[in-house]
Amino acid sequence: MDYAISILVNGIVQGSIYALMALGYSVIVGITGLVTFTHGEVMMMGAFASFYVFELFGSNILIGAIGSFIVCGILGIIIYKVCYERFLDAPRHIALICTIGASMIIKNMAQIVFGPNQKPMFGIFENQLIKIGPVQLSVLQLVILAIVVILALGLSLFFSKSKYGISMRAVSQDKTAASLMGLNVNANALLGNVIGCGLAGIAGMLISVYYQAFQATMGGPLGMKAFSASVLGGLTDSRFAALGGLFLGLIENFGIAVSSASFRDIFAFIFLILILIFKPQGFSKKGGIKL
Amino acid sequence: MTQTLKAWFSDLPKAVRILIFGLGAVIILLIPRFLTSSYIMGIICRILLYITLAGSLNVINGYTGQFSIGHAGFFAVGCYTTAILSSNYAWDFWFTLPIAGILTAIIGLLVALPTFRMTGIYLSIVTLGFSEIIRLIALNWTGLTGGPLGIKGIPAPQFLGMNIRRAGDYYYIFLLFAVLFLLVTNRVLKSRIGRAWISIREDQQAAQSLGVELVKYKAMNFAYGAFWAGLAGAIYAPYINYVDSNTFTLDEGFNILSMAIIGGMGTLGGPVLGSFVVNILNELLRPVSAYRLVVYGLLIVVMMWIRPQGIIGASDSMLADDRTGADLLERLGLKKRRTA
Repeated sequence: MDYAISILVNGIVQGSIYALMALGYSVIVGITGLVTFTHGEVMMMGAFASFYVFELFGSNILIGAIGSFIVCGILGIIIYKVCYERFLDAPRHIALICTIGASMIIKNMAQIVFGPNQKPMFGIFENQLIKIGPVQLSVLQLVILAIVVILALGLSLFFSKSKYGISMRAVSQDKTAASLMGLNVNANALLGNVIGCGLAGIAGMLISVYYQAFQATMGGPLGMKAFSASVLGGLTDSRFAALGGLFLGLIENFGIAVSSASFRDIFAFIFLILILIFKPQGFSKKGGIKL
Repeated sequence: MTQTLKAWFSDLPKAVRILIFGLGAVIILLIPRFLTSSYIMGIICRILLYITLAGSLNVINGYTGQFSIGHAGFFAVGCYTTAILSSNYAWDFWFTLPIAGILTAIIGLLVALPTFRMTGIYLSIVTLGFSEIIRLIALNWTGLTGGPLGIKGIPAPQFLGMNIRRAGDYYYIFLLFAVLFLLVTNRVLKSRIGRAWISIREDQQAAQSLGVELVKYKAMNFAYGAFWAGLAGAIYAPYINYVDSNTFTLDEGFNILSMAIIGGMGTLGGPVLGSFVVNILNELLRPVSAYRLVVYGLLIVVMMWIRPQGIIGASDSMLADDRTGADLLERLGLKKRRTA
C-alpha cells in the first residue's frame, strides 16, 4: 500500500512537470498555429541555463526559474524569427521542417559546447521527508508541485484577465479577424512563443532538478512527452494538455513499477497511440487544431 | 532546370539516347574495377544505400505530404530482421530480404494507422517516437537482439556460389536495389496509385471529394516507403557485419531526412542528389564531425528560407512555397513582401 502511494505521489509530481511542458507546447501551437519540434531542445537549454544560474547566484530555485525563463524566452524569440515569422501564411510543413532543422542545430551545438555526457545537477533541497497522513513527500516534490500550480494558475489568469492574454487568445482563434480588429498578429505570436518557450525552460529546470541529472541529448524524449500530453487537449487547449501531462506522469510511474525503468519512454508512446486511436481530436472545445 | 534538361534530352535522336544510356550503364558497372580504394568504394556504397533510404522517405514525405521523420526505425527493423534470421537461424540472405521488407511494412503500418485520420504533425511525432522505441527495444531485449552487445558476424550473402565480402562486391547489390527502387517507384508513381498519392499531397479534401480513399492510399504509401527502408536495412546488415542499436539513433533519422529535404522532395531525382550531397559533405566534414548535424540543420533551415522544395524538388507542387512567386530577395527579407 505504501509502495502504491509513493508511486502515486511520484507520478503526480512527475506528471506536474509534464503538465508544465504540455502547457508551453499548447500555448505555442495555439497561438502561432504552427507546430514545433524545438520544444524538447528548449527544455534542455532551460536545464543548462538553470545549472549555470545556480553556479553563479547560488542554489535558489526561484532565481533558477527566472534565469531559465529568460534564457529560453530569448531562445524563443530566435526560434520565432527563424522558423515562424516568414511562414505564418505558408504551407504548414515548411515551418515544421524549419523547426526540425533548428532543433538539430540547438541539440548538436549544445553537445559541442557543453559536452555530450550526463552532468549532475545541484541538490537544491535537502532530502527531507514530510508526512501528511499516509502520504510521504520530499521538500523538493512539494516545491515542484507548488511552482507548477502557481504557474498554471498565473497563466490561466493571464489569458483570461490581462489585455495581452485576451488579444493572444483572439489571435489564436482567427488571425485574419484579429488583424482586422487592429491587433498585431506578429507581435502576439512572438509573445506567445516566448511564453511557451519560457515555460518549457522552467519545466526543463524542474526535471533536471528532480532527476538530479541533465544532458544535451535529453530533449528528444521530453519533446515527445510534451506533444503526447498536449494531444489530449487537441494540441491547443492548455487545460486538457495539463491534465494529459498529469496522466502521462502517472501512467509512466505505474508502468515502470510493473516493468523496468529502461522502458520509461515507451509509456508516453503507448499513451499517444491510445489517444490517437480513441480520441484523436482531444477534448478541446474547438475540436482541435486543423494542421 | 530539370524540365529543360529533360526536354533537351528527349529531343536527341533515339540512337544518341541509347548510346548515352549504354555508356552510362557501362561506366557505372565498371566503377569497382577502376576505383579499388576501399575507402572510396565505402563512400559510394553509402551513397547508393542512402538513395534507397532517402528515396523511400521521399515517397512518404514528398508524394503524400505526410511527414515521417523516424525513418531510422524502419531501417533498424529491416537490419535486425536480416541479422537475426541469418546469424541465429542460418537463413539464406536472399530469403531474409523479402521477410525484412514485408515485416517492416507491416510494423510501419500498425504504427502509423492511428494517424491516418489526422494530418501532418501527428505522423511526425508518432514516427519519431517509434524510431526511439525500436532503439530502446533493441537495446533491452537482450535475448533477441544481443542488447548492447549487438549482433556480430552476420554471414556474407552468397551469389552464384561466391561469397560477397568486399565493398566492391556490395556495390553491385546496393546498385541493384537503388536502380530497382527508382524503376519500380517510377512505375508506381505513374499509376493510378501514384496519382492518388500526389492528389492527397496537393489537397486532401479535394482528393477525398474526387473519390480518393484517404486512409487506404495513405496506408499503401506508408507501407511502400517502409518496405523499401526495411529492404535497405536488410542489405546493410551483412555489409556492416555488426548491428547494434547505436546505429539507429534519431540522428540517423535526421541524417536521412536532411538528404530528402536538401536534395529535393516530390521528385525521384531529389533524394539521389541529396544522398550524393550529404554523403560527400559527410566526408568533407570528417575533421569536424561533431559539427556535421549542425551543418545539416543549417542547410535545412536555409533551404526552407530560399527553396522549400529542395534543390531539384517539385517546384510545381505545394511543397514549393509559391505565396510570393520565386522571388529570392523577398524570401530573404531583403525586399518587402507584397501583402495580400
